[in-house]
Amino acid sequence: MRLRKTWLVVVACGVAACATAAAAAAQVTRASGGSVTVAGVIALTGSSDFEGQNQVGGLYPAIYAINKAGGVNGDQLVFKGVDTRGDPADALPAVQQMLATTSNLVAIAGPDTSSAPTIVPVLNSAKIPMMAVAGESVYDRNTAPYFWRLFPPDAANGTAMVLWAKKKGYTKVAAVFGTDSGSQGDKPGVIASAKALHVKIVSNVDLTPSQPTYLSSVRKVIASHPQAIMTESDATTAGTFFGELKQLGGLAPIIGTEATFTSPWLTAVKGALGSDFLKDYTGLITAPSKTTPAVKTYEQSVTAVKSKEPSPWHSYLSNPFSITYYDGMVAVALAMVATHSNKPSVFNAAIPSVTNPGKGKKVVYTFAQGKAALLAGKKIEYVGATGLIDFDKWHNSFGNQEAVMSTSGLKPVAKGVVTAKQIEAVPVKGA
Amino acid sequence: MWSTLVSAIGFGVVLASIIAVAAMGFTIQFGLTNVLNLSFGAVMTIAAFAAYLANKHGVGGWSGLAVGGAAGAVVTLLLGRGVFKPYARRGAHLFEMMMVTLGLSLIINYAIQALSHNNIYQFVVLPSSPFQLGSILITHTQLIIVFISIGVLVVLQALLQLTKIGKALRAMAADPDLARACGIRTGRIVVLTWLLSGFLCGLAGVVYIINAQSIGYTTGQLFLPLVIAAAILGGAGSPVGAVVASLIMGIVTEVVAAFGSEAYSTVAGFGILVLVLLSKPATVRGGQTGHTQLTL
Repeated sequence: MRLRKTWLVVVACGVAACATAAAAAAQVTRASGGSVTVAGVIALTGSSDFEGQNQVGGLYPAIYAINKAGGVNGDQLVFKGVDTRGDPADALPAVQQMLATTSNLVAIAGPDTSSAPTIVPVLNSAKIPMMAVAGESVYDRNTAPYFWRLFPPDAANGTAMVLWAKKKGYTKVAAVFGTDSGSQGDKPGVIASAKALHVKIVSNVDLTPSQPTYLSSVRKVIASHPQAIMTESDATTAGTFFGELKQLGGLAPIIGTEATFTSPWLTAVKGALGSDFLKDYTGLITAPSKTTPAVKTYEQSVTAVKSKEPSPWHSYLSNPFSITYYDGMVAVALAMVATHSNKPSVFNAAIPSVTNPGKGKKVVYTFAQGKAALLAGKKIEYVGATGLIDFDKWHNSFGNQEAVMSTSGLKPVAKGVVTAKQIEAVPVKGA
Repeated sequence: MWSTLVSAIGFGVVLASIIAVAAMGFTIQFGLTNVLNLSFGAVMTIAAFAAYLANKHGVGGWSGLAVGGAAGAVVTLLLGRGVFKPYARRGAHLFEMMMVTLGLSLIINYAIQALSHNNIYQFVVLPSSPFQLGSILITHTQLIIVFISIGVLVVLQALLQLTKIGKALRAMAADPDLARACGIRTGRIVVLTWLLSGFLCGLAGVVYIINAQSIGYTTGQLFLPLVIAAAILGGAGSPVGAVVASLIMGIVTEVVAAFGSEAYSTVAGFGILVLVLLSKPATVRGGQTGHTQLTL
């Protein structure tokens, strides 16, 4: 009887564990021959699991493209997922376990905004290069040599949104942001930039995620009569809030951060608003919408690995996060080829040498092109699917931001550009 | 300030109407069987998707209420007979059964997440335009939902107070052993409990997505904490108590959100629950007499 009870408990735990594992994207892709490991340190489960989907949406194509061209220094790239659950408390032990148990670890994709403060020091001490999407402004003047950011800080994205609002003639806007750390990262930039550019924030609302209703917050926004709504939050929250806002007749043009131009967010809000959404939404993103050779290769790589990608695979074709992760991993791989070494302490410092513009450099758009040029003794400038990559002395490469609307198929259509110079020219204080 | 308060109370009544339908189902289930069913929210989601799919295949919007209710009833009966009863037979007590329902909830939610591809779908029954009811900005859909909630309470109370079946249900909730000794066929009453509470669960799921005008895999789970809190606050097995508790929680939640921050609104609602439980701990021990055994 006791044995049967024990078995029942074991089976019940196993069922629950299988259910959790089925939702996790942690995989190790095996390759034959010598291999080196790149780890994706991100939320793979939990309410922020869309971040993990964005990441593998770009990493799988990068690994495919790199391995297809022969890998790095005779080794194939292998992916390992490390689940932070979007919680710094879970991120640290997960990273420590990864460092202790993963051989041939050469690079990290991540971390994200919520776990960066906790794990960047650990990974930097372990001398593992990180291609991060952490949005905190503290990394604008980064001093960790192994930290690299191919993504604008959250504050810059916020400034770009306000610049776009001003360009459209809006003088009164509402700020509607989720209380999760990722969404709150953009808000200081929006508030400070609005003040600097004399755009009035008539309503400032924080949305606690995963609430069944936001009627009172909706009423606050409606009562303030904004001309546009600046926003970022998780998909479910956005769907609920904007659905109720539309029902009560308060829908205004939406200006979203980069994090809103992702399949979950767009699908949720489109599901709540219907076709009205398409004409009312503008997202500020970093990825170019025009097709370059780098973008074409990226799209081909995504298509080649579509059976491995989380559904819907085609959303990663225009996902700015996925494209950024792709470029980051290609840049790391090219640095390894350039230094003939898979040792992070050797190739880390060489990353800007394969990306930044310079005299006499051959412009390349793919890993295969870059590898061939490097092996022929040439210096290269990798122009990625995100466009020009030019790391400054703090290991940041921002680039211009593009205002896009979404098609019904969730593809971006360019409406205008906000340049990096314009963003830097805004005297933002306190962001 | 006055208009903000009135408006918040109005929103609170709308929120309470949605919670109340689910809380009435939950309290009947908990009051009679003593199963603290954490998969209640997942069943709400299944029923909501059933209504959505029926609507996609030509079944008219409001008929989705019947479809969702039926789906909720069937799924709850299957869970009750196929999962909870076998576990109870093997000696599972209150805590073990709660863990079983938690596991079920995870399985169902992840399954729905996978099947729905993580998407959110639009579900519009009545294209509603808002109108002013005094200081309250409300839609026709929300007003209909309030009347649905009142109607459910009236019908449920009539069933419980005026019919033989209702008497049997109340006798089971008070003392299942005595009810059995008096000749009440408790097995059939348990089946009826699953069907009735499941129907209300399904109805609540559809009411929620009619209000939200969209559906996703988290639909039922978002409401579950409020539903459980309202059912416990109102007293296990008492539909009127569940409605009153839903009103209290709904109004307090919206008033705090209106004058303070959304972040504290749920804290306030659960704060009331904690205060009541501190003064009335027997509320959560099960049934009206503190009966602690599962009745399956």
